[in-house]
Amino acid sequence: MAKEGKLTRRAFLQGTAALGATAALSGCAGQETLEPSSAGAPAVEAGEAEVRHAWCQMCGPARTHCSTLCYIKDGRWTNVEGNPEAGNNWGRGSRSLCAKGNAAMAVLYAPGRLLYPMKRVGEKGEGKFERCTWDEAMDAIAAKLLEQKEQYGAKSYGVLSPQFYAVLGTMGRRFLNVHGSPNYMHSAICNSQRMFSRLVTIGGPAHAQATDTAPGQLDKTKLLVVWGYNSENSAINQGNPYARLNAIEKGLKVIDIRPMQDGLAAKADIWVPVRPGTDGALAMAILNVIIEEDLYDHDFVENWCNGFDQLAEHMKQYTPEWASPITGIPVEQIYEVARLMGTVKPMGINIGNGIGDQQNDGHWTVACACLIEAITGNLGIAGGGGAGMVAPPSLIKTKSIDVLTDKLPKTEEDEKNGFMAGVSDLVGPETPRWFQTMETQESGPTTAYFKGIMSILTEDPYPLRCIFGQSSNPLSATRQPKKVEEALKKLDFYVVMDTQWNSSCDFADYVLPACTNYESSYQFGTKNSADGTFIAINQKIAEPMGESRSDWEYYLDLAVRMGYGEDFWNGDMDACLREQLDGSGIDLEELRAANKGIFVERTDGAKPTEPKYQDYEKMFASLPGGKVQCYNEWIGNKPNCDDTGTISPLPVYNGPAESIAGTPDIAEEYPLVISDVHAYRLCNHSYYVDVPYLRELQPYPWVKINPATAKQYGIADGDWVKIESPHGWVKMVARYLESIAPDVLMSRRGWWQPCEELDLPGYDHLDGGSEINVLYDAELANFDPFNSAMSKQTLVKISKLEEGN
Amino acid sequence: MAKQYGFYMDTERCIKCWACEVACKQWNGIKAGTIARRKVHEVESGTFPNVTRTFVSMSCMHCAEPACAAVCPAGAISKRGEDGIVVVDKEKCIGCHYCFFACPFGVPQYTDEGMDKCDCCIGNGVTPGDTPHCVATCPTKALQFGTMEELAEKVSGKTAKQMGAAAANPSVFVS
Repeated sequence: MAKEGKLTRRAFLQGTAALGATAALSGCAGQETLEPSSAGAPAVEAGEAEVRHAWCQMCGPARTHCSTLCYIKDGRWTNVEGNPEAGNNWGRGSRSLCAKGNAAMAVLYAPGRLLYPMKRVGEKGEGKFERCTWDEAMDAIAAKLLEQKEQYGAKSYGVLSPQFYAVLGTMGRRFLNVHGSPNYMHSAICNSQRMFSRLVTIGGPAHAQATDTAPGQLDKTKLLVVWGYNSENSAINQGNPYARLNAIEKGLKVIDIRPMQDGLAAKADIWVPVRPGTDGALAMAILNVIIEEDLYDHDFVENWCNGFDQLAEHMKQYTPEWASPITGIPVEQIYEVARLMGTVKPMGINIGNGIGDQQNDGHWTVACACLIEAITGNLGIAGGGGAGMVAPPSLIKTKSIDVLTDKLPKTEEDEKNGFMAGVSDLVGPETPRWFQTMETQESGPTTAYFKGIMSILTEDPYPLRCIFGQSSNPLSATRQPKKVEEALKKLDFYVVMDTQWNSSCDFADYVLPACTNYESSYQFGTKNSADGTFIAINQKIAEPMGESRSDWEYYLDLAVRMGYGEDFWNGDMDACLREQLDGSGIDLEELRAANKGIFVERTDGAKPTEPKYQDYEKMFASLPGGKVQCYNEWIGNKPNCDDTGTISPLPVYNGPAESIAGTPDIAEEYPLVISDVHAYRLCNHSYYVDVPYLRELQPYPWVKINPATAKQYGIADGDWVKIESPHGWVKMVARYLESIAPDVLMSRRGWWQPCEELDLPGYDHLDGGSEINVLYDAELANFDPFNSAMSKQTLVKISKLEEGN
Repeated sequence: MAKQYGFYMDTERCIKCWACEVACKQWNGIKAGTIARRKVHEVESGTFPNVTRTFVSMSCMHCAEPACAAVCPAGAISKRGEDGIVVVDKEKCIGCHYCFFACPFGVPQYTDEGMDKCDCCIGNGVTPGDTPHCVATCPTKALQFGTMEELAEKVSGKTAKQMGAAAANPSVFVS
């Protein structure tokens, strides 16, 4: 590798002086009709527009996936495109973006933007608020946190972590550690769940580097099994759909397992329309066939598997004939899929959210998929699981924010049990307390989001007293909003910081206006490839709307007020950024001035190299005995996350709380299965339903229904329908779809945001609203005993709803 | 013959992500809830579980012999000689909708200003012949742009066909 100083640097600097001249935008700005005229790069060349860099915010706050160029004309952000310098999607030159990315301007100018801090003056839920100053709000929050720390201990404070969120994962965690609380309330609906399962089954040095079943070199894969994974919704512009389509053109065979034949599933060779929530049964039956028909790699099993014989004996009972009535998949198709997975090599499995963290059998479903990949000899081979090409090192070495793990006090209880600091104090452990270490959870201890909220009601083992919710609406981000609302009503102190008034704000004590990342210059990221390394920071596209402030500034301000200033750069965010850039060769001013980011070309000729294949000694080093856990000795027969029982060492299938095969008595009254897509290409979880360009494509809450089923109930395409489960009811618009099983319905959650420009309403989160989470079971005892995954499937009955709108 | 630019829609790569539709709107300043110059259509065939879904992104075809231009009584629609792009002069449009009835694909739409349709982004500053924004934004390269000669080369070896519609001769390949 060439020395840093000898590298050629291409910086893209233009017109930054004009930045300060941009008119401050204030008030609630509506979307105007935009007159067509010269836009984008040609307009910049003609001196009619400016270009600024931003990391796209449309996959969530503080993400740095897609670098974008934002065009500003007459002080207004009018257009956006993928930055060709950055190496988005297929690499350098790509200007592509998804639909959301193309609509990003609306997030800045949304009429629903929160502009001022507000304090509650009425009862919780009543919606009576009064404008206050930032000083008043921040002083009150700091005082309350200090008072509660004194009275109930620091552990009484928890933060909501809805999805990966840089501010929360760094500054939020650092604040928790300094304050002394372990209660980082992680969603339990996350890739993290799948990483736990992979780690304890097929190893990896640590949680975030758990061995992968997904092919690291797709161009060498012969069979790709896509299981509950929908990158055409969750990561459209991050390379996956593009690479898969290329591979399909070159002969890759694809089996796509999911209830609805969405975009990429339509390109698969075999579509397996599994009934939602039953993937675990399917995985176990596939494992059964592979073992019974002797399709496994004997050499691998003998040398690298622990307890294979026990697994083989145990799996005998889980035949395709057993799984078929559970999953709705014909026996022959289960055999067909199992035989393909057992014989076509190299084979890789994309394990998605759908099976790992959206069902209460999440752990065993993922573990079985991992075992299939392992015993067929597909791990660590070119085109099989993992074994990706190794990219040359990054040419720009930045530091991550130290979360000050050592500041979190180790209690006597922690010492006694040999736990990581803070674990004994967790209010609702996401994984078993004994399991939480810095190797299994490198960012520190976690409480499950829903369990943490429920502690307010159950007071078991103690109630949380203050929750801080940042860009998360707990009435849509987790299960059973009726219970969540009850908890928020009882919660002592609830603080929300968001760009818009989310439906949980009505229950808050203080609501703080967050600015978007387009109004601050604190978020930077890098992208490394064979060509070189790209670095860029969000440039300010507009001054913060009203009195809105950056989420980063919030933490620094609060820390200073609470006396934690020394650990928070005394409130200076730029000092924090300089610390991260120290030694990178890039300084903050230079970074902030780069309107297209900075690309450092690789001049040493270094190329990606092949990994060491079948390096099983290293791959399985963290596993008991250094072997794949067919019989799991790491977690088996040890306490579950609630300390209410033990975890099985061998695969088990429970099924959702309500299901066709599992609860036939309930199915008699509620004959249809319902679930919802986790990520969707027109929203970011429950947000952006207010964005006009996205809402016009899907104006109403929808439920996909097979036409044959709909006609049976006298429901026409476009009719409003009432959907009732044993737990609640919602109204939605029926949309015909032939590519969904007749006994299955699929929907999309959220819908609380109105869209003012299109005069479309937001919908409530209780019975009679359109928040699908109201339908699902939320008994803590039914959650996954290892990773707290909650079921997202239930049984419903439907009927036409007159005047649904 | 002068150049003729056109589109290639590879349905084997289109995943119905709608990026092209939204890109078209933001770059051409089209307000939500009004018209769409480009639309992603879907064809679903078969019965569960033997179903196929095909997605097709379509806009103006920039026909070699545009029927819309032929019937326009106001002379508002013209085919550019240098690149074959079919454009509308809204100043001249009288809003009679004749072009809508003449177009084999039902492309023309109408706003208060007159007929509106795709102009390959030349109205928003893209140099004629450069990549329009719908194509540039397509995350899967399902939608491509070029001269008909370039596109014919791209689709050779595929099952792609130039769209046929009698005399109009659309400048679009579909596979």
